[in-house]
Amino acid sequence: MSKYFFSICLLFTVFLVQSQEITTDTIKKEIKQEKPKSKTTKAVTETIADSVPVKKDRYGLRVGVDLYKLTRGFYDKDYKGVEFVGDFRLTKNYYLAAELGIEDKTTDDDRLNSTATGTYIKGGFDYNLYNNWLDMENIISVGLRGGFSTFSQQLNHYKIYNSSQYWGEIPPVADGTKYTGLTAAWAEVALGMKAKVFNNVFVGFGVQLKMLLANKEPDNFENLYIPGFNRTYDGNFGVGFNYTVSYFIPLYKKKVIIPETEKKAPKK
Amino acid sequence: MKKILYFLLVFTFGLSSCEKDDICDANTPTTPRLIISFYDITTPSVKKSVTRLKVTGKDQPEGVIFNEGGTEITKYLTSGDSIAIPLKINEDSTTFSFILNSDSSNPELANTDEITFNYSRQNIYVSRACGFKTIYRLNTQNPFVKNDSGNDGIWMQDVRVYNPNIEFENETHVKVFF
Repeated sequence: MSKYFFSICLLFTVFLVQSQEITTDTIKKEIKQEKPKSKTTKAVTETIADSVPVKKDRYGLRVGVDLYKLTRGFYDKDYKGVEFVGDFRLTKNYYLAAELGIEDKTTDDDRLNSTATGTYIKGGFDYNLYNNWLDMENIISVGLRGGFSTFSQQLNHYKIYNSSQYWGEIPPVADGTKYTGLTAAWAEVALGMKAKVFNNVFVGFGVQLKMLLANKEPDNFENLYIPGFNRTYDGNFGVGFNYTVSYFIPLYKKKVIIPETEKKAPKK
Repeated sequence: MKKILYFLLVFTFGLSSCEKDDICDANTPTTPRLIISFYDITTPSVKKSVTRLKVTGKDQPEGVIFNEGGTEITKYLTSGDSIAIPLKINEDSTTFSFILNSDSSNPELANTDEITFNYSRQNIYVSRACGFKTIYRLNTQNPFVKNDSGNDGIWMQDVRVYNPNIEFENETHVKVFF
């Protein structure tokens, strides 16, 4: 199952890059068509100023919500959760980024059924790899995060593994023990893209690869699901996915000093 | 930065290939069976093989299978010097009938003894794939009760608890001298 998930994620990353390239082309064309229009109207007044147009980047705070987690609660009865995302543009390419979330997930395995409930916070930065044209503000980013979660885990019921079935199959043992005060910390590499769909509204996809650094496990049980980190595996690795919609709150503008527009043309 | 991207792609491929599946490995120590070893009553340090021993749990129609590859009759029989029998995981005592010379051509030779093992249980977490296992501890008071079943005398002349903690199958828990 998760094998497919990885493949899908991979496919997604490929698509993201591809689709992004196409849009740049179309927008390029649009701009080319528009340019002569403005020139004809203001040609007389702006003959000197027009030669090097002043490019300004917008800086501000972007806040949003993960729609994947939000909508999953509607079709998956074992899941309730929400994640808020935010980033703040520090420099041309660096963004301070953070995610804050709460999750309630019941993990139903063949032999175990447990519910993890808790909150998490992730903080770090994103680096924008994408060279935007003119006033475009799209992002294809690679980032790092540190994550921390505090949660509880309830063991609902379990099965006892008995290689001998001589005395017959025993029904699952109801337990209900709640292990509280559990914590976990991890680092993650975040790949993502955000596209401005209109005005200040952005839509984004993200894939995260996680590595568990610290994990406080309960006695006689294991953290099968960590809010924010997701399902745990035998090793320290984990994966995550999000689909966000966010709103950009512009705070100030900064001039782009180097006239990079010509240099950027042969992209990649 | 491009290098990092490639690295991550390779990394993802790597992750997807080395991911384990959710099947409990047969080598994982799970719920142990009770290991009984048989010894010679005259020279207690020497192991002695039983002959055509059949072990049946109380109220069970069939015996414990000792020989997977055997026929309908022989798969329940053992002529070795130790046996592994499953204890109940949902009760604190299990009763077995030990039938020596079972299915012999001469029914007179068959001798049945009955032992009830008394123990406490503990469920221990193993893994996501295996779930839990049960480990046992034979009671210090009355770890077992021996009965002659069938009025044919007792063939187990002495029964001793060797290791009351039943956690693994690689050690003897109970010694039977005959």
